[in-house]
Amino acid sequence: MLGFLFGRQTGLDDPLRLKRAESTRRALCLELNPDRNVERIHGNGINTIDIEVIEGRYMLSGGADGVVVIYDLENHSRKPHYTCKAVCTVGRSSRHVHKFSVETVQWYPHDTGMFISSSFDKTMKVWDTETLKLLLYFPCLFLLWNCNVYLVPLNHLHCLPSVGTKNPKVQLCDLKSGSCIQVLQGHRGEVLSVKWSPRYEYILATASTDSSVRLWDVRRASGSLFTLDQFNGDPSKSSSEAANTAHNGRVNGLCFTGDGLFLLTTGTDDRMRLWETATGKNTLVNYGKVVNESRKGLKFAVSQGCSLEFAFVPCGSSVAVYAVHSGELVTMLKGHYSNVDCCEFHPDYQELYSGGKDSNILAWIPTPRPPDIEEEQDSKKVCLSVIFL
Amino acid sequence: MWFRNRSYAAEWRTMNRKRALKCDTFCGKRGRSGAAEPLPAAAGGGGVAAGDRGDRVGGALDIKASLEHIMSLLPGKLWSDTVPRIALKHQLYSLHRDRTRVDRHLNELREQGDVLMFQLGFDSESVAVVFAADFKAKVLAAEVGRATQGPVEKFLNTVLASCCDMSVDETKMLQEFLFADSEITQLVKCGVLTVKDAGSWWLSIPNSGRFTKYFIQGRKAVLGMIRKSKYSEMLKSDLEGRQTTSRVKFHIQYHIHDIVGAELVDCIETTAGVLLRFADS
Repeated sequence: MLGFLFGRQTGLDDPLRLKRAESTRRALCLELNPDRNVERIHGNGINTIDIEVIEGRYMLSGGADGVVVIYDLENHSRKPHYTCKAVCTVGRSSRHVHKFSVETVQWYPHDTGMFISSSFDKTMKVWDTETLKLLLYFPCLFLLWNCNVYLVPLNHLHCLPSVGTKNPKVQLCDLKSGSCIQVLQGHRGEVLSVKWSPRYEYILATASTDSSVRLWDVRRASGSLFTLDQFNGDPSKSSSEAANTAHNGRVNGLCFTGDGLFLLTTGTDDRMRLWETATGKNTLVNYGKVVNESRKGLKFAVSQGCSLEFAFVPCGSSVAVYAVHSGELVTMLKGHYSNVDCCEFHPDYQELYSGGKDSNILAWIPTPRPPDIEEEQDSKKVCLSVIFL
Repeated sequence: MWFRNRSYAAEWRTMNRKRALKCDTFCGKRGRSGAAEPLPAAAGGGGVAAGDRGDRVGGALDIKASLEHIMSLLPGKLWSDTVPRIALKHQLYSLHRDRTRVDRHLNELREQGDVLMFQLGFDSESVAVVFAADFKAKVLAAEVGRATQGPVEKFLNTVLASCCDMSVDETKMLQEFLFADSEITQLVKCGVLTVKDAGSWWLSIPNSGRFTKYFIQGRKAVLGMIRKSKYSEMLKSDLEGRQTTSRVKFHIQYHIHDIVGAELVDCIETTAGVLLRFADS
């Protein structure tokens, strides 16, 4: 570590190298810390968590009771012991609260003035954060599994939530006009998960119960770009395109890596696969058995900014940490009392927040460095003198 | 909110793994002391060390040695000259720790033509591995003097030599390899092809039905032994020493590699050895 600091100071090393090394070290030693808590507001399980990208300060959580809560993650209290307090909630008393469980919440990507929530009551709602009033309301005829707002670079104006429902068609909605502007057809089963690529703003990945994962370019009028095939079969055969399966069961989780070059998918065949997004090739990294019993979408997270990327996947009542490119299981984070439903990685502080059916959000913090030897000896001397008095 | 039931052995194991990853990041060279972990079988120990050195040729040869070791666990008297010795791909995962590397080396061996891989019917995940020379010899020996010898020889020389998939399509057989319909029927009759869909076939091992039957029976019996014990767990050394019923026709080590590799049991390191706990999902 001192070597890295010296290298950065003298200009021998790129400053990014020290940042990456320290981020990886911190991401490897995540654990539960008695000094950090998240206030417990939800009465039922927590389905989804989202941390805003601008400052990384506010966290949204959506629960199975239809309640949406906003937490403040920053510690201004000058004490190591800190509870992340809820800033405001859209509770059961609010007029426009969701009737059934909230499935996805996401902050508006440009600022925290707005957020979107989708729920099992077949609606997607856009809220204003300051007044907690409903701004826009998208009714949908079918059960909404997942909605994902497009994460856009700051110089673009378009912001398109994409909605995956029980209907095989994927809808793209427009926030300015309040209606559905594009429908992507191609799947033959319910669409369980939808994600936009962080690298190219027009690439969308969708996962469905018909065991296929499709990549779409929304600028094209025709169908999907390609479907992912787990056997890496011959791409020239058009007849076998229809039979391409990404998993041997339902595909219920999707996550792009931070740079958008790779896509992780999980399925109910208890497997997780890593794909190259440019070609759709299966990299054949073997993660072993990734227990997956979720009937709806599984929300997992991939670390960002480390030299070795890690995937944090909820497996039953613990969170499994896998090294993305080598397939190794690093550790299992145990702490929840019931099933874990979602987890989210905070890239600036290398912290992991996970929410589960036990209505707790747990914060996994990197282990603080042990104190210096001189400090320890001083405190020991003080203790001894007190005893002998 | 502390979870109290963490076993110290599991913590030691994860700390070692994390230390190895941290060493990689900070030093660039893997430290020898924390990197190696005790493996369940002695035969695979050499494989990991060779893999660590980054010796790819060494890695592939070690996979071959592991395959031979697993195949030697099949009993000699049950095996007449009709069926080649079969190992399952996931049995290798119990001998070598890094699954991705095992997959990669196995694919290399397959591309070189040393091994052949087949999809066995009973499980969508089980893939059988046989040595190509063994397979060809046994198939040709079974076909001597029969009418189907010609098409089978043609099949072995053309399809197996070039095609790396586990299934073939009708269009591929008719156009690329120039087989006639009657020849395809003969191939299905002698067991080299098995019907998958209308117009597509799995490549299969002829006369492998008996192997599959004994294998599934043995797997169920061994899993049953573990499930019936107290807390559904047993030390691996205890299981190896147990007397097997007549339902288990293969060596019990073969089945142990199978259930450990397929993750039907959890392997837990204890101070008394490796503990196998039934994983109910």
